[in-house]
Amino acid sequence: METAVLKQQVKKQIIEFLNLISVTPEDIRDDEPLFGGGLGLDSIDSIELVVLLGREYGIVIQDPKEGRKILVDVNTMVSYIEKNRTK
Amino acid sequence: MLYIHDTTCISPQQTLGDIDIKHLKSADGNKMMALEPSYQNIPTPVLRRMGKAVRMSVGAAMPLLQHFKPDGLIIGTANGGMEDCIKFLNQIIVYEEGMLTPGNFVQSTPNAIASQISLLSANTAYNITHVHRGLAFENAILDAIMLLKEYPDRGFLVGGVDEISSYNYNIDNLEGWYKKETVNNTSLYLTGSPGTIAGEGAAMFLVKATSAGAIARLRGIAMLHTTDENQVLAGLEAFSNKYLLPGERIDLLLSGENGDSRHLKFYEICEGFLGSKTAVGRFKHMSGEYPTASAFAVWLACTIIQKKSAPAQILKSPPTASAITNILIYNNFKGNQHSFILLSC
Repeated sequence: METAVLKQQVKKQIIEFLNLISVTPEDIRDDEPLFGGGLGLDSIDSIELVVLLGREYGIVIQDPKEGRKILVDVNTMVSYIEKNRTK
Repeated sequence: MLYIHDTTCISPQQTLGDIDIKHLKSADGNKMMALEPSYQNIPTPVLRRMGKAVRMSVGAAMPLLQHFKPDGLIIGTANGGMEDCIKFLNQIIVYEEGMLTPGNFVQSTPNAIASQISLLSANTAYNITHVHRGLAFENAILDAIMLLKEYPDRGFLVGGVDEISSYNYNIDNLEGWYKKETVNNTSLYLTGSPGTIAGEGAAMFLVKATSAGAIARLRGIAMLHTTDENQVLAGLEAFSNKYLLPGERIDLLLSGENGDSRHLKFYEICEGFLGSKTAVGRFKHMSGEYPTASAFAVWLACTIIQKKSAPAQILKSPPTASAITNILIYNNFKGNQHSFILLSC
């Protein structure tokens, strides 16, 4: 899958998993910080995103330090998915 | 004695903000869904996690808490956030007990309602949820009555809430609680068939033991479990003897009649006991049927007392008194959980 298509897919999944009311994929910039930015995500959302990676891409994140590096923005998520996905 | 000082309601009718009980909103498909406001008083990050029952409750409660900090939050709900509960249980099966997200779970328990109200209003006082199915709201009121007897200088938020979830609708439908034919709420009482239509809503009340500035006085409440209409009659007789003064009568019976032909006997025996001088009004065509629909009835009674008249669209038989002073709510849930609530101005 092309990176641009994957980014669009991940944005849609973030919106769906986190039930981001009235947010569209176009509203999320690739380099926009997921936490501490305009999306207003919090610690419970980080768990939801870890579950998203597991369910949709077969990626298991066990080390919280690793998670912090992956869940920075859509770019970092997609880069990690491309290298580590099992499905 | 309990005095209702303020009240709000989210229901399938226009009952929040610009209240209109004269005109009935029509609903097809045997489900009366609540008209939800935009919830501007709930922060967006919090709102997006809320299930409908929590959302409606917080949306109804917050306007009441803007100028009053209650000494306790007392909620009655039979099912709480059932829709989210089922989402979570389905996740357990689909993902074989792994990969579970916390959002649906933390929002799905019945006490998530009172806890979210507590968190958003920064209220750390008494916080409790009553879950006695069709008498959950009545037990919440009873709790408030007992607390006010013990602490007459305090005030409490009491609420009744339930949502339509696909799960409980389907289960109840299989059990025969909803009509097999598609019914519009405007013709609910004309069907003559078993079953009713589903409803949902949240009604909240600020209650105190003091009368100054109160909307209505809740003079008595009684509950009973029976499937025998004669026991309901005996219960009403005992209730009237206990709470009505000699010579005093009920001006309006707000009947929980819900179009289910199997339960009509309960309502008719109460109407017969009260006699032709008591007007009869019905509310399930406005709210639909749900376990805490009596909370909607109490809200409606308060509104009638405030407006000093009952809207024509609820009346089964017209009032004979010039003013409505005493309103009796009789409700039953699934033909075995019955309650009487007496309100006066």
